Amino acid sequence: MIAFDANMLLYIIEIVIGGLLVGVGVHFVPVGGAPAAMAQATGVGTGTVQLAAGSGLTGLLSAGLMMSVTDNMLMIVISGAVGAMIMIDATMIVGNWVYIYGVGVPPCSAKVDYDPITKEPQPPYISPGTVGHGIPTVSFVSGTIGGLLGGAGGSLIYYALMSINGNPGLSGFFAIGIFVVNAVVASYNIQGTIEGFHDPKFKRVPRAVQVCLVASLVIGIFAVLITGGA
Amino acid sequence: MDMVSMGLLAAMGALATVAGASEDLESDVGSQSNPNSQVQLAAQVGHPHRIYNKAISGEPPSNALYAALAAVTASVLMSGYGMNAFFAIAIGAVAAAIFNGIFSVTAYMGRNTSQARFNQYVYLDVLRTHTTTIMAHAYITAFCVVTISYIMTAPWLPIQHPFPMPLVAFIWGLAIGAIGSSTGDVHYGAEREFQAYPFGSGLNAANSGDIVTKAEAGLRSSIDNAWFCARFGGPVTGMAFGLTVFLDNWRTTIFDPATQGWLAIVTGVVIVILFNIYNRILEIRSKKRYGPYPEYAGDIEA
Repeated sequence: MIAFDANMLLYIIEIVIGGLLVGVGVHFVPVGGAPAAMAQATGVGTGTVQLAAGSGLTGLLSAGLMMSVTDNMLMIVISGAVGAMIMIDATMIVGNWVYIYGVGVPPCSAKVDYDPITKEPQPPYISPGTVGHGIPTVSFVSGTIGGLLGGAGGSLIYYALMSINGNPGLSGFFAIGIFVVNAVVASYNIQGTIEGFHDPKFKRVPRAVQVCLVASLVIGIFAVLITGGA
Repeated sequence: MDMVSMGLLAAMGALATVAGASEDLESDVGSQSNPNSQVQLAAQVGHPHRIYNKAISGEPPSNALYAALAAVTASVLMSGYGMNAFFAIAIGAVAAAIFNGIFSVTAYMGRNTSQARFNQYVYLDVLRTHTTTIMAHAYITAFCVVTISYIMTAPWLPIQHPFPMPLVAFIWGLAIGAIGSSTGDVHYGAEREFQAYPFGSGLNAANSGDIVTKAEAGLRSSIDNAWFCARFGGPVTGMAFGLTVFLDNWRTTIFDPATQGWLAIVTGVVIVILFNIYNRILEIRSKKRYGPYPEYAGDIEA
């Protein structure tokens, strides 16, 4: 017989909020997929899930370390967010080194005529036959926000699961699973490439919120039950 | 903070740098990840080649698998058979390299035989020489990643991460794959594969699949590509992973998370702000150095 109490509901809500943060955060991560790896599109030259998971789970390591010494939820979640931001920023900086010094193309966006943050013109720097290349300032800032949301989301899920069973290994595995499900669902919404929050595709976020809400709710209920919530 | 912690942190940063470089070169020799799309396309647009072609999966999942596999093997040998950590991790990395070799051979044979109609051959000498090179790089990557995970989790060392060692290795494997795919592979995909086109032109979509198949003498092989990428793409990938591992752990080493947690967080935020400022400086300098595209004829002025 499953006993249903208020704490269980709270854990499920935390997992759902964490899932939503991951789903929205993925939309901020500037990824150009395979074309970006050939300097043919703006963004980091990898897939959405790959980079979001790489950064979000690095944040999970930071959150796990923090949770081993404190119960302060805010501190754990922010620590995870900072860990994810450091990973994604280091990756984007080095990515830009390769674009600038290795391939010889300056960073520029093809989705907007002027960078919304620096107000600099973009089209004169775009090589013909490409849709931008590198990681311009607006995409870099957007990626940092993506890391923040992804890292915070993953850490919140981990915090909820740890509060239930106190087993870091089990909670970590489930947090990775829930993270990846939300990242993949959001990637279908993005359909391959996105430059960041200035990209027209970013307007699709509400749809991802709806789907991630349902997905996180279903997984949240099962995760809480399986990991010992009832 | 004590001297042992700082020494271990430095060792982790160094191991991560080596792991990042070898991970990128492993994917360059095998043409894994995104540049593989061009290798796959080349034969179909009339350029049969001697480039190794293994797209096993995205780099993050495959490296997470190898790292976790090596860590599980090492963990079992240490806890079940009381083996010394150094030998246990070395044997674990051998297991990961063998799995990598099996996946590589099946991927190469499968992909190239399926392109027989485009005159793409399976070269047995390529299979023999390149697979061992790939496995050697995979061994170094797995060894370094598992050693980092061991340093973070071993009960007798100062950093006491609560996750079990295979899970830490899994996460670092995923991160190293994401970094290798995002940074070093661009040097291979955008520059080395298309060296026949002028430097700085990016890749015009119309030229997709037109990869360089001839070398300075004879036909180009994937080991030539690793030689080229080892000059820039590989080392910078190592720097990216080294920076991630070092900076993320540095802030919790100099500030004890138990008593100075907020200081560790603030340090991380400062690092992130500095990264953003540096990227802006990089953007300004690159635009000033290269200038607008010479044949640009649009209305918006640079």
